[in-house]
Amino acid sequence: MLTHIRNAHIVDPANGRDEIGDLWMRGETIVAPPQNGAQADETFDASGLIAMAGGIDIHSHIAGANVNTARLMLPEHHRAHAGRPAETRLSQVGWTTFDTGRLYAEMGFTTVVEPAVAPHTALHAHLELADTPIIDKALLTLLGNDDFVLGLMRSGESASAIRDHVAWTLQTTRALGIKVVNAGGVAAFKDNVRSFSFDDVVPYYGVTSRAIVKALQKAVHEIGVPHPLHVHCNNLGLPGNFETALTTIAAAEGLPLHLAHVQFYGYGKEGPQGFSSAAPQLAEAVNAAKSVTVDVGQVMFGQTVTISSDVVRQFSARGSARPKKYAILDGDANGFGIVPYEYRAGSFHNAVQFAVGLELFLMIDDPWRVFFTTDHPNGAPFTAYPDIFALLMDKDVRAEWLSRLPAEALGVTTLPSLKREYTLNEIAIMTRAAPAKLLGLPDRGHLGAGARGDVALYRPGKDIAQMFRAAALVFKDGELVVREGEVTRYKYGRALHVTPTVEASMQRRMSEYYDERYGLKADFMRVPEGAIHRPQPFEAVACAR
Amino acid sequence: MSLKDSTGVEAAASIDGAPASLAAAAAAAARLLTQSGQPLIAGLGADIDGARAAIALAERVGGVIEHTHSAALMRDLNSMRETGVMLTTPGEARVRADVVLLVGDGLTETWPGLAERLLTAPARPEGVDVGRRIVWLAPKLDATIPGFVGDIEIVAAGLGSTLAANLAALRARIKGRPVAQARIPPPALDAFAGVLKAARFGVAVWTAASLGALEIEMINGLVRDLNETTRFSTLPLAPGDNGAGVLVACGWIAGFPMRTGFGAGAPVHDPWRFDAERLVASGETDCVLWISALGAAPPAWLNAANVIALCEPTTQFTKKPNVRIAIGRPGVDHDSVLHSPDAGTLVAVTASAQSATLSVAEALQRIGACLAETRAPPC
Repeated sequence: MLTHIRNAHIVDPANGRDEIGDLWMRGETIVAPPQNGAQADETFDASGLIAMAGGIDIHSHIAGANVNTARLMLPEHHRAHAGRPAETRLSQVGWTTFDTGRLYAEMGFTTVVEPAVAPHTALHAHLELADTPIIDKALLTLLGNDDFVLGLMRSGESASAIRDHVAWTLQTTRALGIKVVNAGGVAAFKDNVRSFSFDDVVPYYGVTSRAIVKALQKAVHEIGVPHPLHVHCNNLGLPGNFETALTTIAAAEGLPLHLAHVQFYGYGKEGPQGFSSAAPQLAEAVNAAKSVTVDVGQVMFGQTVTISSDVVRQFSARGSARPKKYAILDGDANGFGIVPYEYRAGSFHNAVQFAVGLELFLMIDDPWRVFFTTDHPNGAPFTAYPDIFALLMDKDVRAEWLSRLPAEALGVTTLPSLKREYTLNEIAIMTRAAPAKLLGLPDRGHLGAGARGDVALYRPGKDIAQMFRAAALVFKDGELVVREGEVTRYKYGRALHVTPTVEASMQRRMSEYYDERYGLKADFMRVPEGAIHRPQPFEAVACAR
Repeated sequence: MSLKDSTGVEAAASIDGAPASLAAAAAAAARLLTQSGQPLIAGLGADIDGARAAIALAERVGGVIEHTHSAALMRDLNSMRETGVMLTTPGEARVRADVVLLVGDGLTETWPGLAERLLTAPARPEGVDVGRRIVWLAPKLDATIPGFVGDIEIVAAGLGSTLAANLAALRARIKGRPVAQARIPPPALDAFAGVLKAARFGVAVWTAASLGALEIEMINGLVRDLNETTRFSTLPLAPGDNGAGVLVACGWIAGFPMRTGFGAGAPVHDPWRFDAERLVASGETDCVLWISALGAAPPAWLNAANVIALCEPTTQFTKKPNVRIAIGRPGVDHDSVLHSPDAGTLVAVTASAQSATLSVAEALQRIGACLAETRAPPC
C-alpha cells in the first residue's frame, strides 16, 4: 500500500524541513518519493494543510491503579461527560481508556507516556494501556521510595547492585524508563514525616533525597536507558520551592536528568500573599544546565483531579479538595494521593500558577529541552492542549486571557512583559522531535524516510486552538485514523519498553526478597504478553548499551 | 466441541436442558439478548478478560453490568466517593503495621490469608522486627480468628447499629470528646483509643460483606482523625469472585463501577436502579446472562427471568437455564488475570490444569458473533 500526501506545508524540524512538499508512506513507514514513477494506491490532497509527525506526550497520567481510582471516585466527572455539549471542558476529560485514545488521536497525538506506575501494579497499568485505542503508549516505573533500593543504599551496596535492580525492574514491568517521586519523602511519610527536602534523611535508611536521585540517575544512565531519570522533586507546590528545583538541577552535575512539571516548582515567597513567580530564576537555571530537560505542567482553569504519587504533598493538600473527598494510599514501594481540585481564574494562587507555566515556556529558550505537558490531569486535562498552543503562539490571545486574571496576581509575575510567540517549527520541536529524542524513539517525531507513518495534518486558521483541537487528517502507522477531528478507524497500538540485560543473580535475589518480605513470588508483577489479549501488544526500544 | 464434559455429568452446552452444540447455544443466547428490552449481565464472576468481554457485550446490546458482590463493593466505594479515605496494601500492612485493628466478622471468610499473611507474620517495616498488637472490635467476646493462635485484644462491639454506635464512641474518645452513653465500658473504650493513638503505623481491616455504610464511614473518619497526629491506614478486604478485579476493569472501560447500564447510548451508573435483584423482581429486565466462573452459586432471584448461564459444568440450578454454556475456571483451565487478595493488585495466573474448556471471554465472543451487526464494538 503506497500512500501519497500532496502539497502539505511540511514542518519537520528534525530533518530541517519547513516547506511545501509531499510525503509518501509504504505500509507503516514513511519512504522517500518513489523514483520509478510508481502510482500511489491512495492520494490525499493536503494543499493548505500543515503536516507534522504525530505528537508525543512524555508525561500524562492516563492509566493505572491511581488514575482508575480517581475515575471510580469521581462519577460526577462522567455525568458531565455524558450529558453536556461537546464544547465544555468536563465533557472532554477523556476519562475512560477508550476516550483517552480517541481524544489524543483527534488532536494528532500518536504516542503518550504514563509516567507513574508502582512496580507492583505494572500489569494493571499495561492492561489499561492495551485498552487505549489508536495511540502507542509507554509507562515509567517508580523507584526510590521502595524498601529494596533504600535498603541497598543503607547497607552501602555497590552502584552495580542498584543498577542491576533498576534493570530488573525495567524488564519485569516492561517500562520505558524510571521515575522517582519526592525521593525518600514518600517512604518517610510512612514514618509520619510530613515534609521532606532534598537533603533531608529518610528515617532508618539514613539516605537523603539527593543520594537517591543521584544513585538512580547514574544507574539509568549506565544501563543506557535512553530516557534519563524522570524526577518529581520535593516540596511540590510550596512557596519558595524554586530553590528546591535549583538545588536538584545543580545536582545533575552534567549527567542527563529530567525534571517533571516544573511549573509546580516555580514559586517564590514575595508579594502581598507570600506567593509569587520565581519562573525567571528557574528558567535561567534550566537554560544554563544543558544536561537537564524539563516539562512544564501548565495549569488551566476549571475542574480537574490531582493524581500524584507524592503522598506527602497530596496528604497536605487534602483540605483543599473540591469536591471534598480524597484518597491517600501508602503503597508497596510507593503511594498515591487523589485530590479533586478546581483551578479558578479569580484565585490569586491559581492565577500565579497559570502565569508561572507560561513564563517557563516563554523564558526557557531551547525548545529541545522544555516539554509540553499539563501533567494531565494535575494542571489541566490534556484536552486543554489546544488552548495552550494558542497561548504560546499568539501574544494577543495571551493578553486576552490575562485581562481576566487578578491584577494583583499578575503583579508578582513577569508574564505581561513577555512578547515571545512560538513558531510552528518550535511547536513541532517541543511536541514531536524533542520528545522522540528524549525517549530514544528514532522512528518517531519526524517525517524522514524510515520514520513510522504517524502523521498529523492540521488546517491552519485564525483560531489556533481549533486547528490543534481537530486535526484534519491523522495517520497512525500509515493508516488513516482521523478525518476532520473525528476518529474514522479504531485500532490498537503498542506499549514501548526497554529490554535491558538482567543479571541472573538479581533475579534470584528478588525472588528471595519477595518471598521473605511479602510472602509472594517475585514474578507476581510480571507482564506476560499472553495476559494482554491484543495482537502484538509490545514493542522493544533499544538501550544504548 | 464435546457434548459431555470430562465428568460426563452435564453437557458442555444445552438449550432448555437438552444437550446442544455450542453454535446452537450461542445463537439461542444471542436471540434472547436481542429480544430483551434490557438484558442484564450479572454474577460476572470472571477474570479480567472475561470482564472486558462482558462490558463490551453489554455496551453492544444496551444491557446492564452487575456483579455478585456489588452491594459490598459499593459500600466501600461509596465511602470513598463521599469522604476521604486512607488506604494501604496487604504487603505494606504485613511489613509495617504495628497495630492491626480488626472490625466486625467474616474476615477470614473474605480473606483466607488473613491469619497467616497479616496477623502471624512479624511486622518488619525496615527489616527490623517490631511488636504487632492486634485489637478487634469483635461481634462478641469469645470470637476467634480461625488459624490464628496469637494474642488478640478483644472488645465485644456487636454488629450493625450497635457496632456503628461503638465506633462513634471510639472515634469521639480518640478526639478527646466526652461520650455519654457508650455501650462499651469507658475504661475499656479509652484503653482501646489509647492503643490506636499510640500506633506508629496502624491498619484497620474489615470486610464490607458484614458492615453497613455507617460503620464503614465511621471507620474511615476515625482513621482520618488518627492521621492528624500519627499514621494509620485501612485495608478493606476485597470480596471474592474477582469482585475487585471486575470493579477496576469497569472503571477503565466504562468509567463507572458495576451497576451501570448502556441502554441510553452512553453509560449510566445508578446503584439502585441497576441492582440485579431489583431489576429482575421489578420486571425491568427479562433476560439475565449469568456468569460464574469462580464458584458463586446461582441466586434464587434468577428463576424469575430467562437465563443464559455461563458456568462450570457442575453448577446446580433450581430452574433449568434457557441456555447453558460450560466454561472453565480462570487460572485453572486457562491462563488468566485476577485480582489477588494477597498482592492487592491484578496478577497474571498460569493455568494449573490447562484444558480445552472455553473461557468466559471466548464464550461471550461466540455469542457476540451471533448478534446481528449493529455497530462495531468500541472495545
